[in-house]
Amino acid sequence: MAFVEVRQIFKSYYLHGKRIDVLKGVSLDIEKGELVSLVGASGAGKSTFLHVVGTLDAPAAGALKVGGASIFDKNDAELAEFRNRTIGFVFQSHYLLPEFSALENVAMPALIQRRDKRESLKNARALLERVGLAARVDHRPGELSGGEAQRVALARALVLQPELLLADEPTGNLDPATGEGIHQLLREVNRDLGVTAVVVTHNEALASSMPRRLRLHGGQVHPAENVVASVPTP
Amino acid sequence: MNAERQTEYRPLWLIAGGLVVAAGAFWMSVVLLRSGALQYLWGELELASQGWGAPVLVLQNLGASLQLLAAGRGAGLSAAGPWFWAGAGLFVVGWSLVAAGIRRAQPDPAPPSEAVGAPLHPKLARYRDFYWTTLLAYGGGLIAAELVLVVVHTALVAGVRPGGSLDPARGIQLAPPWAFMVAALMASAVAFAAGFLGAARAGRLGGPEATLAIHYFGTPLPALLTILSFSPQLDLQLGYRLREITYLAGLIGRPELGYWLVFSALVLVLTLGITSGFVATGSGRVDLRAGFELFVARRHGSVFRPRLLFKVLGVLMLGILPPLIIFAMVRAAERAVERTRIRQLGQADPLKATLALHRQKSKERTPTETMTELSVGAVGVGLMSLIIVLSVMSGFEADLQEKILGTNAHAVVQKYDTDFPEWKDVMKTIAQVPGIKGQTPFIYNEVMLTSEGNIAGTIIKGVDPATVGSVSDLPRNVNPPEAIDFLSHPEKILSEVQVPVEEEGPDPGRGAGKTRDEDPLIRIGGQGAREPALPGIIIGRELAAQLKVMLGDRVNVVSPLGGELGPQGPMPKSRPFRVAGIFYSGMYEYDSKFVYILLDEAQRFFNVKGVTGIELKVENVDDARRISREVLTRLKGYPYRTRDWGEMNKNLFSALRLEKLVMGIILSVIVIIATGLIVATVTMLVLEKRKEISVLKALGVPDGGIVKIFLAGGLQIGMAGGLLGLFSGLVWCKLIEVVGIKLDPEVYYIPALPVRVEPLQTAIAVLIAVLVTYLASIGPALKASRVEPVEGLKAE
Repeated sequence: MAFVEVRQIFKSYYLHGKRIDVLKGVSLDIEKGELVSLVGASGAGKSTFLHVVGTLDAPAAGALKVGGASIFDKNDAELAEFRNRTIGFVFQSHYLLPEFSALENVAMPALIQRRDKRESLKNARALLERVGLAARVDHRPGELSGGEAQRVALARALVLQPELLLADEPTGNLDPATGEGIHQLLREVNRDLGVTAVVVTHNEALASSMPRRLRLHGGQVHPAENVVASVPTP
Repeated sequence: MNAERQTEYRPLWLIAGGLVVAAGAFWMSVVLLRSGALQYLWGELELASQGWGAPVLVLQNLGASLQLLAAGRGAGLSAAGPWFWAGAGLFVVGWSLVAAGIRRAQPDPAPPSEAVGAPLHPKLARYRDFYWTTLLAYGGGLIAAELVLVVVHTALVAGVRPGGSLDPARGIQLAPPWAFMVAALMASAVAFAAGFLGAARAGRLGGPEATLAIHYFGTPLPALLTILSFSPQLDLQLGYRLREITYLAGLIGRPELGYWLVFSALVLVLTLGITSGFVATGSGRVDLRAGFELFVARRHGSVFRPRLLFKVLGVLMLGILPPLIIFAMVRAAERAVERTRIRQLGQADPLKATLALHRQKSKERTPTETMTELSVGAVGVGLMSLIIVLSVMSGFEADLQEKILGTNAHAVVQKYDTDFPEWKDVMKTIAQVPGIKGQTPFIYNEVMLTSEGNIAGTIIKGVDPATVGSVSDLPRNVNPPEAIDFLSHPEKILSEVQVPVEEEGPDPGRGAGKTRDEDPLIRIGGQGAREPALPGIIIGRELAAQLKVMLGDRVNVVSPLGGELGPQGPMPKSRPFRVAGIFYSGMYEYDSKFVYILLDEAQRFFNVKGVTGIELKVENVDDARRISREVLTRLKGYPYRTRDWGEMNKNLFSALRLEKLVMGIILSVIVIIATGLIVATVTMLVLEKRKEISVLKALGVPDGGIVKIFLAGGLQIGMAGGLLGLFSGLVWCKLIEVVGIKLDPEVYYIPALPVRVEPLQTAIAVLIAVLVTYLASIGPALKASRVEPVEGLKAE
């Protein structure tokens, strides 16, 4: 039994009365501690797939099991708790809350659980130091650079030690040098903390550096062959 | 199966059908009305509602009546028969057209998708929209709350023992207003709990269940009470058992208004329970903690900032418009100064100027903040107005009550017979009833008073000087103060009051002093100055002005009936009296209508051995009814009867209370508008924070938590506005009381605007303001919770 089992996910959108099928029966197994990259053409549905796995969006049909538990059977409250505890998200935009400082943003998942405030902030500070932002703990997101904000977002995703990390084009908005820093962090986190990670990316270099590579094409997920050679066809 | 719609409409058919239906219905109604069939039906139904099996009988009778109608028997229907069926035919044809205009939609031409056969996502599989248990909870809760209110109130007024048995002597017994409070609190608790549990069970608000519950479970009891007043037969059956409720409802003016107001209040409490239940169980189990949500809400926009509070308070205290204008002017001046400063700075150092500009920009308020301020102000204004106006009206009411109860008794004991000779013994019995503060016998009749050339119709009361002071304020209101004593010792009148008795010759404007008097109506021989002193009479100030008499003057009391028999029937009786005192009660009606003489004199004048009745004064004015009934019980009922002041002055107080109620409702409109403003403000806040809602949901905040965050935002506004409104309202009332707004005493009978802050009334006003704020914020907060996590993220 794999850590993450995805079975027959179907998801479509309606646009101007026409149905656009994005995911057509995606099935996938991911083992614990794997580091997986997901590539594909623009609009192929990579983000959609990630949102479905992260329970941010509901498919029309399909099943999802994480650590043996059937996820879609959970009610809204249980799903919220699942998202809080088991999953960590990193998006293309940092999506930090602008009225709170970097420290509070990182501590947010713990505060949501109503944990002790001082303790949570202490843990958050440690994590921020880990990602190299000890000097920026009290700054608002508006006062941080793109790369710094993304590192804060990564710290926030990791503060409760999730079992599954879902990253949707984490370095899409960053320059190559900064992006490489983030990639390094991802690899470290996977190696040191044993976090299972699925990373959606356009970046061929990042994708090829991941141990397992997948491609989303035609509404299905296949293992990707040599990523550099094949040109994605719509 | 069509993915888009269930039915298709053909508009032309629908409109045509609708018109034909309307025409047919109109036709039938006209025929029915003209034939008198409706009156016939109503008559049959009225008779049917006599028994307690009323609904069943009504249905049975309805069926029988309709059969008879159809057979043509019943007031000229046979003649109208054909026309009626024509109308009915038109009616049916119209509906057929409408039916033809609606058809099931054609199945989808698109081929089945590839997802057929895959396991359905539970969100679609579990699309359940109705919970019976929730319906029973809401409906049962409403009925239970109404029953609790009725039963507990009736029991508490009658006197109930903890075991539940009615025991007027030793049980807990409360005056009607307090009994109602207790009963209302208990009923509210029941309604709240029912709503809470129902929503918790369903995990949703349960709109359909709530609607059904309110309409079908909640309305029967108030409807029954309303019908009670329209159907005498029903009133006979149930009226006695529900008399306490109808009495209480009647206290505010119109009983029907009372029933439906209380019903609305219970529905409001039910709604509160429902929303609270939903919010509290949002995370799967009952979770009333809100620390995190408050933490987030405060960052969204803090309302309890000193600047905002002072600004709103200033606006409220200094009269809304002027402070706003002044603020605007000050702000404009500030901005002008700042712009000049930046320009000058810019000319010296451009970079420093841009920093200053940036600072200025960041201090600007967002539209949401402006709307928050406006909302706080609006709630404050509404509450302040409500408190001030209600307090002033209470002041008038209290003043009126004081004046009425100063002159009139709290309760009266009379006999159904005409004479009441055993009154001394009855007074002894009454003295033993607890709660009686004073009693006095009286004689009451209508007479005419005449003076020199003037005449007035008055009400004469014979009073006992020894006890009258224990019931009425007459001794305090009369001038000179010893006038009451003059009634017993009339010879003192002229000596104490320096008025010459002997005066020959006409003296315009003074009725006294004529020894050879001739009453303008009746010729009685005048007697000499050495006659025994005329009995004293105390008249009101307005009456004295009307009759143009003063202290010591002579007036004649004329009773149209009861004299000797003359050639044309009973002759009017006339007796001279001397004005012993002039009283001023503060009410025009009393000052112009009432006159007082000694009880013994009255007995002699009207030739009776007893009295008309006994007036009572009780310790607790609100309890007068219960005490008067107690007195009646002690006197063993018939032939005695009692009336309390509420009954005797019912119309006046009903009118006052109805006025206050209507005024309160009208002023509540301000609060309702403030509510609308709060809805707008919180909605704007939600729209502004859509992205954040998605992020918070992605981080694991449950739906209930999102609701709590925005609910906290809205409640902040309500609490701040409520506190400021309460504070400014009370301060204004104090100012009015202390500084006073003068009134013309000739016109208003009161020297300054009266103010009486009733704690209960004020508390209810504040409570309503806060509750209404809660309801206002719940709507947008719930909308916020329905934002799907992915919606806000995609918006980028």
